Amino acid sequence: MAIAGSIVLAAKVYAAAGACLAGFFLTLGIGRIDPAARGTFVFRVLLIPGTVLLWPLVLMRWKALERQQH
Amino acid sequence: MSVKYSPVIWNRNKIIYDFVMLLAVAVYILIFIRLAPLVSVHHAATDGPIIEMRAFGSCAFLMLSFVLSIGPLARLDKRWLPVLYNRRHFGVMTAFIAAAHANAVLDYYASRSATPPAVAVLTSNTSFGQLLGFPFEMFGILALAILLVLAATSHDFWLSFLTPPVWKAIHMLVYIAFACVTLHVSLGPLQAASHPTLAIVAFATVSTVGVLHRLAAHRTTAFEQANATADDAAPEWIDAGDPMSIPDKRAKTVNLPDGSRVAVFRYDSKLSAVTNVCVHQNGPLGEGRILGGKVTCPWHGFQYRADNGCAPAPYTEKISTYRLKLEAGRLFVDPRPNAPGTLVVPLLLPGGTA
Repeated sequence: MAIAGSIVLAAKVYAAAGACLAGFFLTLGIGRIDPAARGTFVFRVLLIPGTVLLWPLVLMRWKALERQQH
Repeated sequence: MSVKYSPVIWNRNKIIYDFVMLLAVAVYILIFIRLAPLVSVHHAATDGPIIEMRAFGSCAFLMLSFVLSIGPLARLDKRWLPVLYNRRHFGVMTAFIAAAHANAVLDYYASRSATPPAVAVLTSNTSFGQLLGFPFEMFGILALAILLVLAATSHDFWLSFLTPPVWKAIHMLVYIAFACVTLHVSLGPLQAASHPTLAIVAFATVSTVGVLHRLAAHRTTAFEQANATADDAAPEWIDAGDPMSIPDKRAKTVNLPDGSRVAVFRYDSKLSAVTNVCVHQNGPLGEGRILGGKVTCPWHGFQYRADNGCAPAPYTEKISTYRLKLEAGRLFVDPRPNAPGTLVVPLLLPGGTA
């Protein structure tokens, strides 16, 4: 029971961290690293689940693309 | 040239496709819920929440099996291509139905236990040491997680952002999801069934997916061999028009007399031509673009070098290339396909450098 509770809690923490990153990435970051995303906003809503689920990967790619641009 | 992202690119065909798909799902669920109490194949008595759970679960299993069969079917018979064209929506719908199944499972546990439903699912069965009675829910959870990731990364943005090799690797997980669903069904509902009908349907479904993939792979190999031994008769070169009309890093598709199509790409002041058909699932390469220096299929991100049609390592797919020539400012395509993977030195546009 304790292990199952910990797994569920870890999943919630992971999702919460992903939601925070999604907030920053989809409002501030995406337009900086992808010109096709500039000036268009509605499609970003569809990216929320993917960002929440894969946020460590998103963070890595965001960092790498920011570096490439500088 | 920059194309802005949009939420969903709709057209008449896609609307009809989605309507038919939603209608079929709704009809299946309703019929299942109506008929299941009359023809139950399970030992235990079934009530509303259990029937609902099974309706969504069986629907998701059949949809996933069908979505995996569409590609091979389209390779075997081109009349299936319209079904393949909007398979992305089919996959997303499959994930939604699987999520509805999981939600019904959580509701079931919530109605029978004071423990939080998610914890109850994980603790209701912990017999990991035995095959019969194994906690089959774990395979379902893993399959659902994969399907949700695939659905969540189905937008074109993810292909560009994650890079095609990473995106492709993630989406190949659909086969892991299918294996998990098969184990989920085999170790769960099949163990509780009192009648062989369910086992027969499940076995037939999984076998069909496997046989279709085998047949499609055989067809592709035969096609490649036929191309490699094509005769050298010299037909007319096909006029492809002004090369500068091709947008940078994009393609123009050219129809050949035999009905096939060639995608001529312009990139870095060079031109290369490859078949318009992706070997993966017949995706239209000419609607793709050059990403990371490679031709990228718009459907699943399969990539090929424009000059030799070879997928980058570690992948081994190859597509046919075509020769090009410029005459009086016009572009011409040799309609004879080279054997898949044949290097053709790119044609330099005036002012370009090798």
